[in-house]
Amino acid sequence: MDYQLDGRVAIVSGGSRGIGRAIAETLAREGARVVIASRTESYLDEAAGSLESAAPGRVHAVAADMTDPADIDRVVSAARSRFGTISIAISNVIGHVIDAQREGEGPGAGTFQTLEPEEYRREFRQLFISSWALAQACIPDMRAQRWGRICNIGSSAAREPATQLPHTLPNVVRPAVAGMHRLLAARLAQDGITVNNILTGGILTERNASYWRWLADSRGQSLDQVTSVVNEAIPIGRMGEPKEMAALVAFLCSAQASRVTGQSIPVNGGASVHL
Amino acid sequence: MNYELAGRSVRLAGPDREVLAACAEHLIAEGAHVLDVEGGEPDIVIVAGARRAGSRLLGDTSAADLYAAWDDAVDAVDCYRAAAQPMTSRGWGRMVWIGNAQAKSVDAAEDEFAAVVSLGILGLHKVIAQELGRGGVTANAVLRGGEANDDDVATAAVFLCSAGASYLSGITIVIDGGVGSAVF
Repeated sequence: MDYQLDGRVAIVSGGSRGIGRAIAETLAREGARVVIASRTESYLDEAAGSLESAAPGRVHAVAADMTDPADIDRVVSAARSRFGTISIAISNVIGHVIDAQREGEGPGAGTFQTLEPEEYRREFRQLFISSWALAQACIPDMRAQRWGRICNIGSSAAREPATQLPHTLPNVVRPAVAGMHRLLAARLAQDGITVNNILTGGILTERNASYWRWLADSRGQSLDQVTSVVNEAIPIGRMGEPKEMAALVAFLCSAQASRVTGQSIPVNGGASVHL
Repeated sequence: MNYELAGRSVRLAGPDREVLAACAEHLIAEGAHVLDVEGGEPDIVIVAGARRAGSRLLGDTSAADLYAAWDDAVDAVDCYRAAAQPMTSRGWGRMVWIGNAQAKSVDAAEDEFAAVVSLGILGLHKVIAQELGRGGVTANAVLRGGEANDDDVATAAVFLCSAGASYLSGITIVIDGGVGSAVF
């Protein structure tokens, strides 16, 4: 299938590792010009090098804090001057880490009764403002060409909070982010811009692996014990790979998906229970 | 119907004072009493989010506007949390959020800030339902849409505080006269 992405300009936040990197690679292989942005230069350099071999001349890396609207504007300007008018914005920023030493790089852990209200403000910046500001910065280009694709990498927690895990913060903020995208979809449809939200669950990234290690340690279990329980709970029987996320995102960015908008679509091996 | 609210104490919080006044009237009629803002350990907390007719996520909206709107959710967390421990000690508590039905179904009313704040609170309620359910505490929402007036909304909120509502937690009642188009 020709997705007709040749020459389209995309920005992928959190594009140096895991899901973001897989999306950047998939879009670039489909012919898009992709700017990846993330904070850590070492990861970014490594990703830029390997993406350059996969899709020569189609990927540009910019170090930036993609939760900061001023930094986001800087990335958008860099993308315009390097590749041209922006057509695709993929927001992929993780929840804030409260204590990396203790928790690994998983979502900041805490229960409703233990978390301070300030943590909900920080998580709002991390998950909501990051995604909103990237869309806001790219919409003028999309409107001008009457073509745009906005995708957010969200979480299954948006629709089914994982209340058995200590993920109170994403359980609260993710639904708000999904609602924001639903509202943007309604307001932008007439401009040829689609807005969709991906509900991830059980995608095995490096970060996710570090989280399972933390959970195993905190429960006094082995890593195998924890991951086998997780795998059993997924109807397909295994965790997913980042490229399995990227496949859906690339489809949503395609010319063919022009009437798919306002959706929250799970990529979770069938693990949802909602109808 | 006997709501069995006689003697229950109530904290009313949040910026929508009109709907809270309507709640107070019904709660007092059922024998409950409303606490001063500062003191006491309430059996019931009702938080009513701001109504910002015409608020839009796009256009001139700044990140600062969005943080200010989200503070409604943060304040609700604060208010619920202060009441949680005393509620579980007594084995009874009711937390109710009054928000905007656009959280469930996009409409033309365009209070988009209220919609996203309410969605955050619906997620929070699922956490509270799980975490405090065995302590006899429930957390539920009433979402206003269509032409619903303060009394329509308040009567639903007060029902969620009643003894009969003890097996309802993490749920949402939309009061919109049927205009919302979401099936579920």
